[in-house]
Amino acid sequence: MLKPSFDPVQLAIPFFVLAIVLEILLGRFGKAKANYETRDTAMSLTMGLGSTVAGILFGGVIFAATIWVWNHRIFTIPMTAVWAWVAVFLLEDLTYYWFHRIAHERRFWWASHVNHHTSTHYNLSTALRQTWTGGVAGTWLLWLPLSFIGFPPAMVAIQKGVSLVYQFWIHTEAIKRMPRWFEAVFNTPSHHRVHHARNARYLDANYAGILIIWDRLFGTFIPETDEEPCRYGTVKNLGNFNLLHNVFHEWVGIGRDVAGAKSPREVIGYVFGPPGWSPNGSRDTSHTLKAKWRARMARETQTPPQ
Amino acid sequence: MDKALLIQLGGSVVAVALLVAVAAWLGAARPTPPLDADAARALLAVEFPDHKPSSVWIAADGAGLIARARDEALVIWRRGDGYVAREAPWSAVSAVRPAKGRLALRVGDGRPVFAVSDDVWPPRELA
Repeated sequence: MLKPSFDPVQLAIPFFVLAIVLEILLGRFGKAKANYETRDTAMSLTMGLGSTVAGILFGGVIFAATIWVWNHRIFTIPMTAVWAWVAVFLLEDLTYYWFHRIAHERRFWWASHVNHHTSTHYNLSTALRQTWTGGVAGTWLLWLPLSFIGFPPAMVAIQKGVSLVYQFWIHTEAIKRMPRWFEAVFNTPSHHRVHHARNARYLDANYAGILIIWDRLFGTFIPETDEEPCRYGTVKNLGNFNLLHNVFHEWVGIGRDVAGAKSPREVIGYVFGPPGWSPNGSRDTSHTLKAKWRARMARETQTPPQ
Repeated sequence: MDKALLIQLGGSVVAVALLVAVAAWLGAARPTPPLDADAARALLAVEFPDHKPSSVWIAADGAGLIARARDEALVIWRRGDGYVAREAPWSAVSAVRPAKGRLALRVGDGRPVFAVSDDVWPPRELA
C-alpha cells in the first residue's frame, strides 16, 4: 500500500536501451527519420542518469509527505479494484496535464522543466532528458491530492511510472502518424513533436501525458501540419553543450532578474510570470511570439489591392 | 546506499557510455554543409523572422554568419549539427578584433568563433 511492489520505469530500462539502439540504426541506414548528434545524446542520457540520482536524494521527502497526506485521507481506496485503477489512470493523467501546463506557463516551474526541451533533436534519447531540480520546484505536490482522496501511495507511484514509460515511445520522428482513432484519444509522436517544437505556431501546446483528450478539452491542442515541420529546442537554443548550464541556466536567469528587480511586483513577475516576462515587455513570451507570427501570417496572406 | 542501488547506478553509467559510443560510431547526425547565400537567407528568415537584415556576412568556413539590421548584429553559428542565434549590438560586434583568422565573440551564453579571411573585420558589406 505504501511502497510499490515494482517500478515500471526500472523494468522498462532494458527496453529503453534497445529502442534507442534500434532508432540510431534505423536513422543511420535511412530506414526511418532519426538523427543523433553525439554531444546532444550524451547530454540527454546524462540528464536522465542525474535525474535518477536527484530522485533518490529527494525521494525521502516526497515519500514522507505522501505518507503523511495518505494518513489523513478521506477514503480508503482498494488497490485490488479495477475501478480504482481506471480512476487513478484518469486522475493521474489529468494531474500530469496540469503539472505540465504550469511547468511551461510559469517561469519558476519552467526553470526546472526547460532542461527536457533544450535538445534540438527529437529522438528517444530526448525522452530521458529529465530534470534534476523537480524536487526543489515542488511540482510533486500536485500529486498529493490523489493520496488525500485515498489512493494508496504505491498505486499513484505505479501509475506515474506507467505514464513516464508511455511517454518514452512518443519522442520519435520515426513514427509519422498513428491510426486516426488513436490520434484522437492518445498522445502520440505527432502530438508530442508539436509540444517540443520551437516554431511560434506550436508554442505552449499538447501538454498531455497519455490522453490527448485533456488538451482538446482545455483548448491547448494544436495538430502537427505537414506545411510547417517542427523545429526542436527552445525559442532561444542554448549556446553550448555545458551540462550544468543546461540544468541551471533558467534558475540563474531568475536569480539575475530578481537581483535587478525594482519592486516586489517585478520580483513576482520574474519568478511566477510566464517565461520571457519583463516589466516593460521588451522580452518575448509565447504569447507575444504567437501574436507576431499571426501578424506575419496575416501580412503574407493579404491579397494585394486590385 | 545499498549494494543493489550502487549496482543499478553503475549499470546505468555503463549503459549511457555505450549508447553515446554507439551514437558517435554510427554517426546519425544531420548533415550541415557550409552555409551559402541561400542557406544563410533561409536561416535568417527562421531565426529572425521580424528583422530585415540589410547585409549578410558568411564566415570563411561557412559555419556561421553575421547579419546587420540597423544597429543590431544578428549572429548565427553552428553548434553540433544545428545552429544557435543571438542578437547583439552592432557596435560591440564590429569593435571586436580578429586574431589569426578567428573572430571570437561573447553573446549571452555562447562563445562563437568565426573564421575570418585575412583578419579583415568588419567586412566591407557590413560596415
